[in-house]
Amino acid sequence: MAIALGIDLGTTNSCAAVATPTGVEFILGSRAERVHPSIVAFPGSGGVVVGADAKRYRLTEPTSVIHSAKRFIGQNIRAPLVQLALTGIRYKVTEGPNQQPIVTVRDRRMTMPEISSHVLLYLKRCAERQLGNAISDAVITVPANFTDAQRTATKEAGRLAGLDVSRLINEPTAAALAYGFGRNQDQVICVFDFGGGTFDVSILRINGEIFEVLASDGDFFLGGDDLDRALAEVLAAECSRHLNFDPRQSPVLMMKLMMGAEAIKIHLSENDAAEGEIDGIDLPNGQVGSLPFALSRQQFEELIGGYINRTIEVTKQVIAQAGLSPTAISDILCVGGSTRIPVVRHRLAEVFRREPNISINPDEVVAQGAAIQAGSLSGAIIAGTGMGARDAVITQAHSPLIYGGPAGGRAKPQAALVRPILLDVNPSTLAIQTAGGYAERLLDKNSPIPIERSRVFTTARDNQTRVEIDCCRGESRRYSENEPLGKLVLEELPAKPRGDLKIEVSFRVDADGILHVKAADAESGQRQEASLHVIGAPTAGDQA
Amino acid sequence: MLLWARRITGMKQLTPHQLLEIAPDAGLDVAQEAFHKIARLAHPDLHRTGLDPEDLELVTTAYAMIANAYQTYRTHVMATQRLPKIDVGVEPGAANAVASANAVPATPSGAPPVTTGVAGAMSSKALIYYRKAELCLKRGDLRGAMLQLKMAIGTDPGSTFLRTALHEVEAEVLKGP
Repeated sequence: MAIALGIDLGTTNSCAAVATPTGVEFILGSRAERVHPSIVAFPGSGGVVVGADAKRYRLTEPTSVIHSAKRFIGQNIRAPLVQLALTGIRYKVTEGPNQQPIVTVRDRRMTMPEISSHVLLYLKRCAERQLGNAISDAVITVPANFTDAQRTATKEAGRLAGLDVSRLINEPTAAALAYGFGRNQDQVICVFDFGGGTFDVSILRINGEIFEVLASDGDFFLGGDDLDRALAEVLAAECSRHLNFDPRQSPVLMMKLMMGAEAIKIHLSENDAAEGEIDGIDLPNGQVGSLPFALSRQQFEELIGGYINRTIEVTKQVIAQAGLSPTAISDILCVGGSTRIPVVRHRLAEVFRREPNISINPDEVVAQGAAIQAGSLSGAIIAGTGMGARDAVITQAHSPLIYGGPAGGRAKPQAALVRPILLDVNPSTLAIQTAGGYAERLLDKNSPIPIERSRVFTTARDNQTRVEIDCCRGESRRYSENEPLGKLVLEELPAKPRGDLKIEVSFRVDADGILHVKAADAESGQRQEASLHVIGAPTAGDQA
Repeated sequence: MLLWARRITGMKQLTPHQLLEIAPDAGLDVAQEAFHKIARLAHPDLHRTGLDPEDLELVTTAYAMIANAYQTYRTHVMATQRLPKIDVGVEPGAANAVASANAVPATPSGAPPVTTGVAGAMSSKALIYYRKAELCLKRGDLRGAMLQLKMAIGTDPGSTFLRTALHEVEAEVLKGP
């Protein structure tokens, strides 16, 4: 039986797990750590180093340590937010073919999927060593608001790592699955996923084995990294005041301040004040200085207030989109390391008028959900792998081997096999450009996937044999205010007077959240060529 | 399962509620339950290992069509729920709605007999504004109600009923808080 791995491929940290008959087993790194930094280093001495070991190179070789690759994977490098994110990194990123970002370390050029594939390969190898079996299949989680190109690129990363990606699932949905699988209840929950680089909120209805996402939204460029950066900027200002030297010029120093800021942030989640010194600051005159700091929790909360307000605002919007009132939600799951910040939990409690659920491990729950889905899709179903089932496992401990039921027992094995069904949604409205620069909606945000909808197009000129349709994603009525997705091209059309040809184009968003198009002549049913050129996505010819 | 999928994919002309096999005026919860019922049987994930690729594609297409029907139905219901309910026709007591919502005792003098209701007192377009005015009054937003009533009079200048209603609201505003 093939073992399928569930992988939470995060911006700052990744985590992997497999579903076993008695529970979810986490994949450990060389120091028995469950959480692996999503960092890939290409040290000058050669080779590729991934995970906790790669972190060490951050200070010695900041330009050859690739972190936060998830912020750029499948992105159009010309997008304004991508340009902004590029100012926060120290390695070199340039524009490659199809407007995709390319990382250059010394003379080595790599696409973002290649970088992420190193992380996936590392997790795959750790898993193979730990389980003693070859791993071929995986379920990878992505932020709920990931675009088509980002999803395609993530799948590509999986393929490069030698994994057959059987499904991409949304991170909040995975968390809900880990929380609710085996509970057998009917309830509505909210998943608040505030991770290292991205932010998502989903409202789900759990109805027995069905997990239906009612609404989901988020901000792709909002995470713990931004909080660190805000604090690092303050430290940098302090530094120029105390030491008469602006560290913003120096990549190494800014990295050091970022690391210091992260440590202060974590300290302030447990304590009311942080005080100390950041040592080893190399000054331009050759001396080594140190930067004293003192920060209270309240000061930190004021500093990050804008970011937290944004998350709360999105949360309120999502509740409204689901057509619910905050009190109709019976549990709030906190996922992602940034939810450890007390003010985040406090603000959530204000919105929902109940304390958020903090009994789950915010770093691991997503990988746990991915593992359950991986086990379910590969056919090896697993009683007792969810959170709710943990207690139940004890009483059933003798029975729930993979195919359920004790050997020779009267219970039908099939009866025990209740697979979870995830009804996930399309993260943003897909639209096409129409005359006058307007955007015509094709598929609404929060539609259940997989979904298929068809639309009839026609030609605008006589004997036209090729039609190009601009596609975009976003909520605006004006095409130019939305994010361009790519071009839909219909080719080899029969020459006919304008308007005579009716081409039925069906748009399908598959269970991975990736858009596919098919076209057929509406009258004859004859198939037409249709393709969607997605900007920023890796093209087939990119890799050797 | 395959029979079901062939049946669904073969019937492109069906309306969303027919595909979901629910009543045309069923509520959201009924639609959701119907969709869950189909998902429990036909979600493509349940058939990944049991069907060959061609049949799986057929089931996926059928399921995707159902998903589209559910989304269309849900959007439709949510959109109509947001608007105030407009019952054109007999609605006893509706003529007093403006008055009672604002605790003004007088019935509009120009109001038609109760049996025909407010719907008979103005054009259907004006009625939409009138309903909005009622909603404003329920919120205690007198000025908003005045605006809506003026809009109503704009679309149906001949309605004495609307003019009377506007006078009453204006009188309330003048009284002040």
